[in-house]
Amino acid sequence: MNCPMEAGGSPDLLLDYAAGKLNADARAQMDRHLAICRACSEFAGAQQNVWQALEDWEPAEVSMDFDRRLYARIEQDVSWWKRLMRPLNPVFRHSIPVAAAAGVLIMAGLLLYRPAAIAPAPKSAQVESLQPDQLQSALEDMEMLHQFNQLVPDASAPKM
Amino acid sequence: MGGLAATLDFDAELMLRVKDGDGASFAILLEKHRLPVIHFLYRMVQNQAVAEELAQEVFLRVYRSRGSYEPTAKFTTWLFRIATHLALNSLRDGKYQRLEEHLDDDSAEAPARQLSDQRPSVEQRMLHQARLEEIRRAVATLPEKQRAAVLMHKYEEMEYSQIAKVLNCSESAIKSLLFRAYETLRARLAHMA
Repeated sequence: MNCPMEAGGSPDLLLDYAAGKLNADARAQMDRHLAICRACSEFAGAQQNVWQALEDWEPAEVSMDFDRRLYARIEQDVSWWKRLMRPLNPVFRHSIPVAAAAGVLIMAGLLLYRPAAIAPAPKSAQVESLQPDQLQSALEDMEMLHQFNQLVPDASAPKM
Repeated sequence: MGGLAATLDFDAELMLRVKDGDGASFAILLEKHRLPVIHFLYRMVQNQAVAEELAQEVFLRVYRSRGSYEPTAKFTTWLFRIATHLALNSLRDGKYQRLEEHLDDDSAEAPARQLSDQRPSVEQRMLHQARLEEIRRAVATLPEKQRAAVLMHKYEEMEYSQIAKVLNCSESAIKSLLFRAYETLRARLAHMA
């Protein structure tokens, strides 16, 4: 095998060797190389020392209530949304069915209602436009009739 | 590799069940990954209380993200990406007390390890504590990314490719990062041989 420490080599093979991560064939190859390569042998020895030293570093015990605290936080997290929505729940509970029913009725109405074509208004109902001189003439006629009525004595009036 | 694929499928499947509202699947994931996450965070920030607080945040984020979860990567890659992100942030923003201040304070938190079958003498215990202290200081001096890479490589036994995905680097960059990190550790811990 090529020396892992030389240019183009794979120094990570020495890390894996020290970590015991090489398979049997690769490990045997490395053993043969270490027997003839002093640099790699020293490197592998030092790396195994580091590996062993790190092995001794055990973490502390985990708190007994770790899970309980976590689930309390999850519950709090979930409840945040529930708490926010709680005041609106009665409103939603009553108004949603009503709104849904109203929506259904409106939709049904829109689907079923087919407005007939609007018939044109009868000609008699149409207001004829008047010219200004015709209007003036009509007003004068009305004034004349009014004066005429004042001149003619009322037959129904009590006689003095 | 078949085992890895099976693990991927199992954890991702559990997470998909959590997405569907299955709380029991979340409990299984928590049970399985609680210790690796806490231990990783403890070795990153070197303070047990801070590590547990960060781990709570990790699992809370996992739970919160259940709705949008898609199994595009291995579950542990996603999990440790969250954990690393939180650990690096807590170290950088100085939210918690500085790491160095805790190196002496919480040494008593670590369980005393039996050096032999018989109970260790006071002297042996002191020697062991001094040795642990040196290891912790040596790791603490590593740059943050190197530290995270070493911890994932050594204790979580992750492949280079997975560490690369967690730290968002190329695989060759991770190999180079690890090589430099172990070089520093070899120099600092050489006298322990």
